Amino acid sequence: MNKASVKTLQDLVRLSAEEYGEKTFVREKDGNDISDKSFAQFYEDSRRVCSFVQNAANGETIHAAVIGPTSYAYLAAYFGTVIGGNTIVPIDAQLACADICELLVRADISIFFYDIRYTPMIPAIKAACPSIHTYVSLQSGEGAELSLPSVLEKYSPAEMTEIPEKTMASIVYTSGTTGKSKGVMLSHANFIDNAMCRDNESSPEDTLLTVLPIHHVYCFSCDILLSLRYGATICVNDSMMRIAQNLKLFQPTIILLVPMIAETIYKQIMAAAKAKQLPPAAVAQAVFGGRLKGIYSGGAYLSPELMKAYAELGIPVAQGYGMTECSPRIASSYLDDVSKGDVGTVVGGCEVKIEDGEIVVKSPSVMIGYYKDPEATAEALTPDGWLHTGDLGYVDEDRRVFITGRKKNLIILSNGENVSPEEIENKFAAVDIAAEVLVYAEDGFITAEIFPNAEACAEMSSEEIGEAFKKIITDINKTLTSAKMIRRLRIRDKEFEKTTSKKIKREQPEKGEMSIRL
Amino acid sequence: MFEQMKELIGNYVDVNADDVTLDSKFIEDLGFNSYDFVSLLGEAEEIFGVQIEEQEVLNLHTVGDAIAYIEKLKA
Repeated sequence: MNKASVKTLQDLVRLSAEEYGEKTFVREKDGNDISDKSFAQFYEDSRRVCSFVQNAANGETIHAAVIGPTSYAYLAAYFGTVIGGNTIVPIDAQLACADICELLVRADISIFFYDIRYTPMIPAIKAACPSIHTYVSLQSGEGAELSLPSVLEKYSPAEMTEIPEKTMASIVYTSGTTGKSKGVMLSHANFIDNAMCRDNESSPEDTLLTVLPIHHVYCFSCDILLSLRYGATICVNDSMMRIAQNLKLFQPTIILLVPMIAETIYKQIMAAAKAKQLPPAAVAQAVFGGRLKGIYSGGAYLSPELMKAYAELGIPVAQGYGMTECSPRIASSYLDDVSKGDVGTVVGGCEVKIEDGEIVVKSPSVMIGYYKDPEATAEALTPDGWLHTGDLGYVDEDRRVFITGRKKNLIILSNGENVSPEEIENKFAAVDIAAEVLVYAEDGFITAEIFPNAEACAEMSSEEIGEAFKKIITDINKTLTSAKMIRRLRIRDKEFEKTTSKKIKREQPEKGEMSIRL
Repeated sequence: MFEQMKELIGNYVDVNADDVTLDSKFIEDLGFNSYDFVSLLGEAEEIFGVQIEEQEVLNLHTVGDAIAYIEKLKA
C-alpha cells in the first residue's frame, strides 16, 4: 500500500478493498461453521453502516459507542462510524453496568452499538443515559429493537466524501492503575501515523489470531489496522477459554499477546511435552497450529526469562512499548531482532528525549488531548506537543528504549532520594515462591508486600515462608543502594486487586499482615 | 471427573495431586493466574464435551464448583 496516499481511516479501508479485494479480511466462527468476509465486503458493509449513522445523526456529527468482544459486526460498526467523520468510543467489555453508563454519559454518546449479550443491561443504560437516541444490537436476536444485520440489509453503501485528517476518530478510555479513567482523543492522523510507523511487518500471506480486548488501542492498531494495511487475515478468538482450540483451528502465523497469556501457553506446552514425552519445541509448534513465525508482546513488562524460554522453543517474541496516548506504539521490535532487555527500537517519526529521568515523546501519533479535561491534557502535553509518558527510562545509541519504572509510582524518601518501586519489584521476577509483589513506602520505610505462590510454598508453614522471604530480601538488598533497601515485609493471603487489564492496582483496599521489620 | 480434573490442574501448577480437594480454590490455594484458569476450563470443555458459558466462569471458584457445573452441563 502506498503510504503517502493514506491520510485517514477512510483511506485505509478503501485502499485495502482496492488492493486486497476478495481476499479474506476477517475469519470467525459462526455456529459450527467458519465465516469469511473479504476486504471488499468490509468496505462495502462499513459504508452501509455509515449511511445508517448519518441518517440517525440527522446530518450532525455524533459520538457512537461500541461494546463487545471482537467480531466482524463490531469492526463494521466501528469503521461505519469513523469513515463518515463521526467519533467512536470503544467501551471495556468487562466493566460493570454503572461504570459503562458513567462513560457513556461522559463521552456524550448518541448511538450505542452493543453485543447482544449486553441486552439485559439496556433498560438500565436507557434510564441513565438520556442522550442516547439509537440502540443497535450487533447481532439479531430476541430483545433487539434494531440489529446490525438489518442495518446492512436496509441501507445502501454511503458515497464517501473526504474527511480532514485531524478529525477526532475515537475517544479511548484508559483503564489506569490509579485514579479516574481519562478519555484519550485520537485523530485519523494519529492512527494512520502509528499504522505506518514501521515497514515490512506483515504481508498478505499472514494470518493473525486476535485475542486481546478490542477496546485497547494496542489490539485495534496492531491487529486490525496493520492487517488492513498489509492485507493479512484476522481470525477472531471467540473466547479467552478457547485460545488453545483456536490456535489449532486457525493456524496463525503471527499472534499478539500480553505476557500473562504467553506465560500460560508456555506452561501448557511444557505440560504436554512432559505428558507425551516429546521435545517441547515440537509440541510448541503443534500448540500454535504449526505455522507460527513469532509472537508480539505488549501491554506489560515481559520478563527476559520468558522471552528466553520461548526462544529455546524456536519461537521469537518481539516486545513493544507504547501507550494509548500515542496510538499506541513508541518503540517496537522485529521478530528477527528481538530485544535484549529493551522494549524495542523507537518507531519512525517519533522523537524521544529524557527529562528528569522521564521518557518524553513527540510524534504525529500523539493524541489530540483528553476529552473535556484540559487540566489533565496540560499536565501530559506541552504546548509544543511533547507527551510526558510517565515512564522512567533511557534510550541507547541504537535508539533502543529501556524502561526502569513509572514516574508517578516513585517513592520520594525523606532524604529526597527517589526510588522506583518497579525496579525493586522486578528483582523478585526469578523468586519462585513469590506470585505477586508490590513495593511502596510505609511510615517512610520501603515495604515489600508479597502474595506467595501457593504451589511453591505448599510444604511450608507460615513461619517458614516468612523466614524464606526474609532471606531472599537480605540477598536482594545486597544489590540495592542503602536508600532503596527493603525495610519491611508484609505477606498477604489474597491476590492483589487488579485493573481489568490485569495490572496490580497500586492503591489496595487492604494490606497484608506485617511479618517482619527488617 | 475429579481425578481427570486433578490431572488437568497438574498441567498448570506444580501441586501434589493428593493436596487438591473439592474445596481447593484455583487462584488462592492452587496458585492459578486468571488466564491459567480460563485455559483450564477451555481444556475441560474439550475433554468433557461441554460448552461453558462465559458468564458462569465468574461463579466458579473451587475445584468442586467447576466439577458440579460441568456435571450439570453433561446431565
